[in-house]
Amino acid sequence: MILNSTQLAMLKVSSLQSLYMVSVSSLLTSLFGIPLGIMVVITRNGHILENKFLYRVLGFIINATRSIPFPIFIVFVIPLTRLVVGTAIGPTAVIVPLTLAAIVFMARLTETSLLEVPSGIIEAAQSIGASRWQIVWHVLLPEARPGLIMSVTITVITLISYSAMAGAVGGGGLGDLAIRYGYQRYQTDIMWVTVILLLLLVQGIQILGDRLVKKYSRR
Amino acid sequence: MALIEVKGLAKVFQVDGQMVEALAGIDLAIEEGEIFGVIGLSGAGKSTFIRCLNRLETPSSGTVLVGGRDLSTLAREELRGFRRNMGMIFQSFNLLSSRTVAGNVAFSLEVAGKGRAAAKARVAELLEMVGLSDKAGAYPAQLSGGQKQRVGIARALALSPKILLCDEATSSLDPQTTSSILALIGDLKSRLGLTVVLITHEMKVITEICDRVAVLESGRLVETGRVIDVFSSPGHPTSKKFVESVHPSFDQLLRGSFRPKGRLVRIFYVGETVTEPLVYTLVKRFDVEPNILQAHLDVISNQTSGTLLIDLAGQSGAIDAALGFIRTSNVSFEVLN
Repeated sequence: MILNSTQLAMLKVSSLQSLYMVSVSSLLTSLFGIPLGIMVVITRNGHILENKFLYRVLGFIINATRSIPFPIFIVFVIPLTRLVVGTAIGPTAVIVPLTLAAIVFMARLTETSLLEVPSGIIEAAQSIGASRWQIVWHVLLPEARPGLIMSVTITVITLISYSAMAGAVGGGGLGDLAIRYGYQRYQTDIMWVTVILLLLLVQGIQILGDRLVKKYSRR
Repeated sequence: MALIEVKGLAKVFQVDGQMVEALAGIDLAIEEGEIFGVIGLSGAGKSTFIRCLNRLETPSSGTVLVGGRDLSTLAREELRGFRRNMGMIFQSFNLLSSRTVAGNVAFSLEVAGKGRAAAKARVAELLEMVGLSDKAGAYPAQLSGGQKQRVGIARALALSPKILLCDEATSSLDPQTTSSILALIGDLKSRLGLTVVLITHEMKVITEICDRVAVLESGRLVETGRVIDVFSSPGHPTSKKFVESVHPSFDQLLRGSFRPKGRLVRIFYVGETVTEPLVYTLVKRFDVEPNILQAHLDVISNQTSGTLLIDLAGQSGAIDAALGFIRTSNVSFEVLN
């Protein structure tokens, strides 16, 4: 099972495409998904920014987005993708549906992590006169840090898996390579190499996440 | 004027569409410099009550005046500033697990916008005050319950508040640690001139450090008074049960195989009121046989008090004369049969 130079070049391009899609969408997802998760938590009944209307609206948007299967979602948001990046084809274009789908996923994971912070700690912060912003920044986020790191890890791994469907709109990447050459053209060796690369990538991210969680766990 | 005045305080919660009355018409005045205890069983409304004092809970009706200010009139920002005058400690300590001991104490100062250098000196001072200087770099998970509560106290007192609110602060601690935490609170109270409001379900906590006590039952105050008075002659069945939780009930004693020979007399005395040995005098001057069934010595609000249960046997005339003598001495007593 020796790969020729053409195959090696293809692997290189695909790997870079995968890394590009996953890293940019991971960054954007964390940037928007975590704040969205915070909003869902603090607008809850009895929380520091209680707002029934906002809570329900956000909950509905998240559920609606999550209920659409990802391949359909890619097609569904094409008009938006065109609006944002000017084209609906290619790795950059794929980042739009990837990020949108992952943001709501991340928001739910963030919500779960933040809800694990005991309400008594928030009460203690209120009792010394902390503002809502201080409670989010100095209490909720640091207390939920291990859980949030785990959430980011899970989201990045999910993004790697989602990005394999990017081929549908010419996004490329390792997953696309595996399907087109490894499956459709019976080049089993390509299939194996991509699978191993993806496996290594996922393992690496999981190990990194676990280490960070361990480092920040104080409970 | 009292430091904290509570008038007609009521709180109604809506639970699953049903109205639950947690507090109903509470009237109380807490004086500056006293340690005021509120005792009640779980569900009596104690937690709701103490949360109304710093408006962690908003009353449904009634007013809470602290230093003459009506808490309900404070805007959000004002309330935040106001809360810095009132420290609070909790049953579950509620420390930030992600911060060290020093970091937890510094949190109060950061919230109030104190500079890092000033905060550092103050944190050291506070940790010294609660006896935790050597644990500054430890995380809460590495501390015992008593140590965690000491951190809680340091955090609560960081901004030099006038009032300390204790929400079941010793309920999750063992008896020995409870005593040491109560001693610390008592000590800090006199050193810093604090006013302390505490809620508890343990009579021991009340008798150990409180000056006055209010007994709460189903959201209503059933008795308020000096601890020593409530302890010596509880005026409500619930108060009586709490007193009996410290000493076994006399009724319980009678339920056993024990049968008194004469009259059962329960005598309660405080401090120096007993100048002559009462039982000795009874034996010497009257033809009675006092049999001591139970004797307790307690320290209540820093005063020594004693409870004595005696079975007074003898001729009825002699017993009456002996009771007459007890009546003239400076003790309160009760004939139980």
